[in-house]
Amino acid sequence: MPPSGRWRPRDYGPVVRPYAVTGGRTEPADGEVLDLIAVVVTTGRAVGPDDHPPLTPEHRRILGLCQQQITVADLAADTTLPVGVVRVLLADLITQGVVTVVRQRPPAQRTQNEVLQEILNGLRAL
Amino acid sequence: MGSERSDSSGTAGPPEAAFTAYKLLIAGGFGSGKTTLVGAISEVRPLRTEETLTTASVGLDDLSGVASKSTTTVALDFGRITMGSKVVLYLFGLPGQERFSFMWSELAYGALGAVILADVRRLDECFPSVNYFESRGLPFVVAINCFDNAPRYDPEEVRLALDLDPDVPTVLCDAREVASVKQVLITLVETVARRTATAGSRR
Repeated sequence: MPPSGRWRPRDYGPVVRPYAVTGGRTEPADGEVLDLIAVVVTTGRAVGPDDHPPLTPEHRRILGLCQQQITVADLAADTTLPVGVVRVLLADLITQGVVTVVRQRPPAQRTQNEVLQEILNGLRAL
Repeated sequence: MGSERSDSSGTAGPPEAAFTAYKLLIAGGFGSGKTTLVGAISEVRPLRTEETLTTASVGLDDLSGVASKSTTTVALDFGRITMGSKVVLYLFGLPGQERFSFMWSELAYGALGAVILADVRRLDECFPSVNYFESRGLPFVVAINCFDNAPRYDPEEVRLALDLDPDVPTVLCDAREVASVKQVLITLVETVARRTATAGSRR
């Protein structure tokens, strides 16, 4: 997960129209709409020069942030890109095999109640 | 590398999750204090995109009782609470106005539960959220945000006014206060746990 230092309030305003950085595409290429708290991470595969579409600076920023496991919502916050744009760019990276979705399966021995108890303890400790 | 990892078939298996993310929703009418609440408890200030209210909003955005508010939150408010090393709780503010309700189902997907912030001066603005979470079967609590200049009502009166089921907690809160917000979230998670336990014993 990202260090909290990236969570800085900042002036937030688009410099270009949101979907300009996706080449006008508004739907993820693979059709999968990732949940806001879906976690993604790099696979370790290097990006080749022949990969398509060619990586834009925004792709590379996302790729850099994906070195550590990170949620879609955090990516959107860290890049200040709209969530829809992040989804399109992520889909490109997933299709190219450089980023993958971390399936969130809690260990089988942990029941939902244990998870909720952990959240309760965490909240009480705040 | 590369030889042991098949990109198309994924035979290397998915990577192990470094943390598990959970989602809570913060709902409520326009100006009910959602942004304040998320900002009070999160380890960081929420990300927000605010749009200035223009004449286009007249008649759409109800400003009665909140005359000093000149901007409205049109994008997502969200905050993150890290617990220990493995659990991260995300708070998402649902855009309050009904004209943003197209975003609700996406945000509600996979959520543990919701807080509905109520402003007693404009209680009717809770109706869309109450109806929505009831129809989805998502556990929720109603938190009455005690604005300084708003009249005080007993939580039971609010429960009656909103026609809530007896198992829906109705609590008073101050969205600016960490301790108060913390208690609201604890009440919500306890409600979720109770619901889970009931559902489990029925099986």
